[in-house]
Amino acid sequence: MLARQLMDTRAVLHRQGVIFAYSGYVTEPVLSGVGEALKQKLTIDDADTKTLRSVFAIFVEQMQNIIRYSAEKARPAPPPVPDANALMEISYGILTIGKEDNEYVVCAGNLVACSDVERLRTKLSRIRNMSKDELKALYKEQLRAEPEPGSKGAGLGFMEIARRASKPIEFDFADADDTYAFFALKASI
Amino acid sequence: MRDKIDIAATTRTPAVTFDFTQHHLKIKGESYPEDVTEFYGPVFTALDNYLSKLGKGSCRFDFELIYLNSSSAKAVMMLMDKLEAAAKKGASVEVYWYYDKEDDTMQELGEEFGEDLENAKFHLEKMAG
Repeated sequence: MLARQLMDTRAVLHRQGVIFAYSGYVTEPVLSGVGEALKQKLTIDDADTKTLRSVFAIFVEQMQNIIRYSAEKARPAPPPVPDANALMEISYGILTIGKEDNEYVVCAGNLVACSDVERLRTKLSRIRNMSKDELKALYKEQLRAEPEPGSKGAGLGFMEIARRASKPIEFDFADADDTYAFFALKASI
Repeated sequence: MRDKIDIAATTRTPAVTFDFTQHHLKIKGESYPEDVTEFYGPVFTALDNYLSKLGKGSCRFDFELIYLNSSSAKAVMMLMDKLEAAAKKGASVEVYWYYDKEDDTMQELGEEFGEDLENAKFHLEKMAG
């Protein structure tokens, strides 16, 4: 029963071509570890340098998006005091890396606040419809710009993903409850 | 001021070798630190100190990056800005951007940074090997 259940879960992933799947709380060391295994697997697959770097780059941006922006977090109660040794909050998300036909596919999903959905949709639709040259121009503009309020990085992650992808990124939202929606982003290389 | 900075590379951070007496500064490897500010903060400080005393002197900065994430790209832009500012004040600054010939994304990124340098001299080179 136990083996059957887990084997079924694995089979579901296999049928979708998934090679790596991580669902749970993500931390930077998880990114490091999965990233190393991913590099090894791509090397074993004899992926060319450009593909290896692009898959890896997209993986890093997707993982860091979950870590920084997932609305589903576990945090110690009461909230941590400003102390370097205090337990940090950790973010929940799901990330898969797989193959579809001859392409690598990196998918990531996490909860976001419903109030952020329109902003994300607008931003991603714009990026999705851009040519490589337009993306390059926007990337440069954003590199010089102040990050948007709420941004915890350079505000370049989605653009980096779109630039490294070999076809337009795909994204979608599903209602989770009144407060949260599930956000999914897929990039093919 | 210390005459040298030598930070060894890790899986996620590049080697930083600033030889201030030889006026040769180098960043080499991969850059996707857990915390960009924590890693690049001391590098910025060291570069600021060095450049503030450079005057009309000359220096060379080599970027030999295999891969950098988007937050590191912002840090690299800030390094470039500092070098450009020193060149504008009269220093002779040579910036070398080495890219892996198999990865045109890093070549393009180098070109983009190079476009913003007016006073510092920019060189785009393939990595050896």
